[in-house]
Amino acid sequence: MDLPSGTRNYNYAEDMAIFRTKTHWFLLFALLVILFTAPLWFGNYWLSIANLIGITIIAVTGLNILTGYCGQLSIGHAGFMAVGAYTSVILTTRFNLPFLVGLICAGVMAGIIGMIFGIPSLRVKGFYLAISTIAAQAIIIWVIRGWTSVTGGYTGLEASPASIGNLILKSQTSEFFLILIITIIAIFAAKNLVRTRVGRAFVAIRDNDLAAEVMGINLFRYKLTAFFIGCFFAGIAGALLAHTSRLASPEYFSFTNSVLYIGMIIIGGLGTTIGPIFGVIFFQLLNVLVTKLSPALQSAFPHLPGGFTSGIAPMLFGLAIILFLIFEPRGIAHRWQLFKSAYRFWPFSY
Amino acid sequence: MAQLLQFTITGLAIGMIYSLIALGFVVVWKSSGVANLSLGQLVLLLSWFTYSMLAQAGLPFYFGLPLVIVFALLLGWIIERIILRPLIAQPILSLITVTLGLAYFIEGIVVIIWPQSQASLPRLFPMETVHIGSAVVTQEYLWAALISVVLFILLSLYFRYNRMGIAMRATADDQKAVQACGIPVTKIFSRSWMFACVLAAVGGILMSSIGGIRQGLTETGLLAFSVVILGGLDSFAGAMIAGPIIGLVETVGSGYLANFIKWPEIRTVIPFIIIIIVMCVKPYGLFGENRIERI
Repeated sequence: MDLPSGTRNYNYAEDMAIFRTKTHWFLLFALLVILFTAPLWFGNYWLSIANLIGITIIAVTGLNILTGYCGQLSIGHAGFMAVGAYTSVILTTRFNLPFLVGLICAGVMAGIIGMIFGIPSLRVKGFYLAISTIAAQAIIIWVIRGWTSVTGGYTGLEASPASIGNLILKSQTSEFFLILIITIIAIFAAKNLVRTRVGRAFVAIRDNDLAAEVMGINLFRYKLTAFFIGCFFAGIAGALLAHTSRLASPEYFSFTNSVLYIGMIIIGGLGTTIGPIFGVIFFQLLNVLVTKLSPALQSAFPHLPGGFTSGIAPMLFGLAIILFLIFEPRGIAHRWQLFKSAYRFWPFSY
Repeated sequence: MAQLLQFTITGLAIGMIYSLIALGFVVVWKSSGVANLSLGQLVLLLSWFTYSMLAQAGLPFYFGLPLVIVFALLLGWIIERIILRPLIAQPILSLITVTLGLAYFIEGIVVIIWPQSQASLPRLFPMETVHIGSAVVTQEYLWAALISVVLFILLSLYFRYNRMGIAMRATADDQKAVQACGIPVTKIFSRSWMFACVLAAVGGILMSSIGGIRQGLTETGLLAFSVVILGGLDSFAGAMIAGPIIGLVETVGSGYLANFIKWPEIRTVIPFIIIIIVMCVKPYGLFGENRIERI
């Protein structure tokens, strides 16, 4: 049930509309008002969390296009983010290019590297592809750590704050607006991309790649396109992360992050636009909860073992991934769908 | 020359351990089609458990080591029963991701229970070094190689002559036919996970008796993946042959390349470079079955 009861489409434009009814438009408007006035009532701590959520949503949306729509599992997404981060930081600090140029170049560079590592995807899939993307992540991080003259090695590179024209976005609030706008653009682009010819080709490849090929879809081209688009998003996210935290360091782009991104799309719901948003918010809020609660728990119960505070987060994340896969493989997005159809039919449900 | 010989011997011996761990992967993959990405974390967990039994609880070897094996069997059974059983016949994406979740979960558990970053097992093997030609090798490497070969032979015999072993091979071949014959497939799945955990335990004990227990033990899991990819995912002999090759390339390659490439940790990326090369040249490995798919 995509539409409320009694709403009918009489022409193509109505059928394709994302926001169909007046209620949709009203809710969208309310959400945008709340988001754009958020700095008024959020403190700096929550703004920084919101920034992190926004950046992660961009990256995970890219991963969702690659894995959720095109079916190419990538466990090296953090590596592609790192490519974007370093590209942008090097271009803006060494070559004094404007931030926006650096941002776009970051996306393109990450996309190209992603395409290179996506080449094996034509011949292999499933586990093989997973391992080759893990290899991509390891090799990228190794190059970043080793190529000290360009990337600064373990210590990383200092990044300048983001700027548009003469406007330098230094404060938490201005960064929030930047990330918010880019996130909205990314989500909107992703939503529309998957409704185009390219997006439908991705879905066909995911569902049955042999049938897709027989139908005349050029597998090589579309798989590489998926890698390019997915990694383009990752590159943008990586660049934003580096510029807002003023540092590009290999620590931000570890293998565990790549695994977490996979967990986020699984928990949110594979192959839906809204899924990554749910997944990212779920994980980041869980993370906040753990970092806030675990020291308190540690001091309240002295018998807890010593590594409790540092070990509880990965344990809970792993547990969440396992539980969702067993009990709700379609993720929070599916629950949300159920909820929507339930209230639309209320009180006359089937 | 002495250096080359030394690298070769240690590389081959370490590679044998990788083969052992990789065999655990192959057993599970062949019987149930699950790609176990939590291999490295299992190795880490079981090594720490061994440390608890031998060093912290101070049990003698003849009691502590069998206890570790029993724990590994139990762990394999629990993992299969609770996590993998509900996911039978799910797409490969879910199966891979659930083992990633498991890996993350185990890592958290390990940090909670054993917060120290490293430890060393009590000595399992004699101290004296052995002179082979002009190379000087500690005995641990030779013992590791010996134990791996013995275990491989035992496993091969099991799969050839034991009823359950034959059933496991049959399951790998055709699950539906096996089910029609009245063989409980789920029992075979749990048996294969128990095997995988025991192999991970033995591999972990051997690895940590050589290099101590570190967080880096999880990387042996990644090395085991490069072994199975080189050898072919569904081939026992492939894993057994590819292991020493990977070990050899790793030690000899990193030993000599370190003179030319000054970037640190070249050792850690060599297996990945091998993976990428194998993927591009011969994706199904040296001995893997080249699957032909039907529409």
